[in-house]
Amino acid sequence: MSDGLLRMEHVSKRFRRGVAHDTMIDLIASGAKRLMGRQRVASENDFWALDDVGFEVRAGEAVGVIGPNGAGKSTALKLIAGIMRPDHGRIETRGRITALIEINAGFHGDLTGRENIYMNGAILGMRRREIDRKFDDIISFSGIADFIDTPVKRYSSGMQARLGFSVAAHVDPDVLLVDEVLGVGDLLFRQRCIQRMRELVDGGVALVFVTHHIELMQAFCTRSVVLDKGRLVHDGDTDRAVSAYMEALKGGVELVPAALSNKPGEVTGCRICSAGGKEMLVGKPGDPLEVEVTFELSQPVQRLSIELDVRRDLAAQVATFNSVHQGITFDASSGANSVTLSLPELPLAGGQYFWQVVLQDADTSKVVAISGYQYSYVIEDGGRSTGLLSLPHEWLHHQGACDPPSAVLAGVT
Amino acid sequence: MTDSDEEESVFSVAASNTQNDDASRVQNGGASSVRVGAADELASVWYSLPVELWAYRHLLASLTVRELRIRYKQSLLGVGWAVCVPLSMMLIFTFVFTRAIKVAPEMRIEMPYALFAYVGLVPWTFFAAGLNGSVNSLVANRNLVTKVYFPREVLPLSAIGAAFADFCVAGSVVVGLIAYFHVFGDWSFSPNATVLFIPVIVAVQTAFMIGLGMLLAMANLFYRDVRQVFAVVIQLWMFATSVVYPIRDDGSWVGRVVAMNPMTPIIGAYRACLIHGQLPEMWGFGYATVVSLIVLVLGWSCFHRAGFKFAERI
Repeated sequence: MSDGLLRMEHVSKRFRRGVAHDTMIDLIASGAKRLMGRQRVASENDFWALDDVGFEVRAGEAVGVIGPNGAGKSTALKLIAGIMRPDHGRIETRGRITALIEINAGFHGDLTGRENIYMNGAILGMRRREIDRKFDDIISFSGIADFIDTPVKRYSSGMQARLGFSVAAHVDPDVLLVDEVLGVGDLLFRQRCIQRMRELVDGGVALVFVTHHIELMQAFCTRSVVLDKGRLVHDGDTDRAVSAYMEALKGGVELVPAALSNKPGEVTGCRICSAGGKEMLVGKPGDPLEVEVTFELSQPVQRLSIELDVRRDLAAQVATFNSVHQGITFDASSGANSVTLSLPELPLAGGQYFWQVVLQDADTSKVVAISGYQYSYVIEDGGRSTGLLSLPHEWLHHQGACDPPSAVLAGVT
Repeated sequence: MTDSDEEESVFSVAASNTQNDDASRVQNGGASSVRVGAADELASVWYSLPVELWAYRHLLASLTVRELRIRYKQSLLGVGWAVCVPLSMMLIFTFVFTRAIKVAPEMRIEMPYALFAYVGLVPWTFFAAGLNGSVNSLVANRNLVTKVYFPREVLPLSAIGAAFADFCVAGSVVVGLIAYFHVFGDWSFSPNATVLFIPVIVAVQTAFMIGLGMLLAMANLFYRDVRQVFAVVIQLWMFATSVVYPIRDDGSWVGRVVAMNPMTPIIGAYRACLIHGQLPEMWGFGYATVVSLIVLVLGWSCFHRAGFKFAERI
């Protein structure tokens, strides 16, 4: 075996849809079948949560696992951790595996923070002496020393998360599995967690990191694995993983709520293209873009306005382009139409952006069609920019002390 | 790693998660684990089990302590409940059998009835409470079963461990009862070396409980009906055991069925060793020992083999 601490080979896992247990009648029926020598065949209710998946993680490597909901990410982690067993294939691991699938799994509300540290430590495979030695570190990392003898049920959920992560962060694993657990806790604490994970990886831990947080993954993982409907669709550098992920997302059926789609028109597409007209799912900050919107109308609209909204991670609204604000409307005929928005540059920072198209009748202000935020575009800059904007700038360096007060005074006088 | 090494590690599923102290954490040749699909080897069970359980002894201890802490947190009497439950049961049965319906003199028990009842009730409470804890142990800790890896045996074992702690506390009160009846009653007690045999009886009873507890915990995970059925059966079982009255084989078919219950010779053995100064009746206790060991092996191996399914079927 190479220096891989974790290796999955052709791993498959089957689950059953619907109620996972048999009723008495099912039992009698299947028992009778078995008596007659018939095996249970894979029914149409079975589906493969993982299908022939294989990858390897080496010491000191941080591998991200992304994919749409239901792609099999958590199943993969549970198989690696040994919580479940694969139906086919093999998983080899070396050393202590720590799985952070749910930080507070071992917590009990009636026990104090101190008691829970020991409890959770034991669950994660630590010895009492080991916990004794690290106890002060754990408490100072969590930052809740004042409440350590208070029952955990009186903690806020953020405090519970802090305590849970603090214990886990001190386990010293060989393989660390993290499943989207950094969503809780405030920003400062989250940064501390990320820093701690970075330290562990630099110290030779093999990290497998499941997240939907693309920026975090871009900043953290050198390599990423993309899962889609149980299959491995990409294993390689993170930048390309992000575009594979975007492809997988596009393949999924995004349902627009009926109330939104019950309109006289329908947005049929919104392609984000490079200046040359080639569709792009991933681009760089400041790239020139053309956004090509196609839609169908059941009746002509004489003065149609188009609005494009851009959000970051479905959270912050970043930009709006509304044609009517520039006094521009389109004379749209019934049937298929298309409008292109040209952007000389889009100076946004690295991250995932979601687009929505809204068509309005400029005369009546009635919404003709609305797409919902189903179109996505990722800006990739190798983790160099954070925040929302990537603004053009330059740095100047002067030898010796600079003289800012005179500049201010100059403004006053 | 050579092929033969790899072959060997296929049979060391147990080694997964073993704790190498962080000081001696090794990058190469550390604890390794291979999990393969479909194949599920029984042969490896008896090799891997002790290794894995030893690695997780701290978790077992922590869970047992947690169980006890939770039980006695926010209660005034605290651990006193371990004594109060069998003691109040004793008072109830003493009242019923010596005051309400005066059948105690006909029992030919050669000791004060209260003492007879208490010496029966304490191990029975251990039995019933330990099994009751085991039945629910997997389902109640669903969060752990689905989110964390550890040998699942630890859960029913910790339930039995917590019941055992109560058993020890309640058992120590027997000394006080013996002294009371020796001084104030028309009954005299003479200490005997047979008391030293009691740990053997406890071991047999615990083996029986572990096997049965694992079967019940597993069954309840797949079908929650088990818990309801168990609540009824354990009541019935108590009256089919010589807990509050002696049971003697009367030759009828009911008597013969009841005589198959290994709990009767086990509880009889406590009374024989502690009060009568005799060794347990050989055939009865020998039978109970054999049954206990069979149940232990059967229960534990079923539990271990099904363990990997728990997370998806719970």
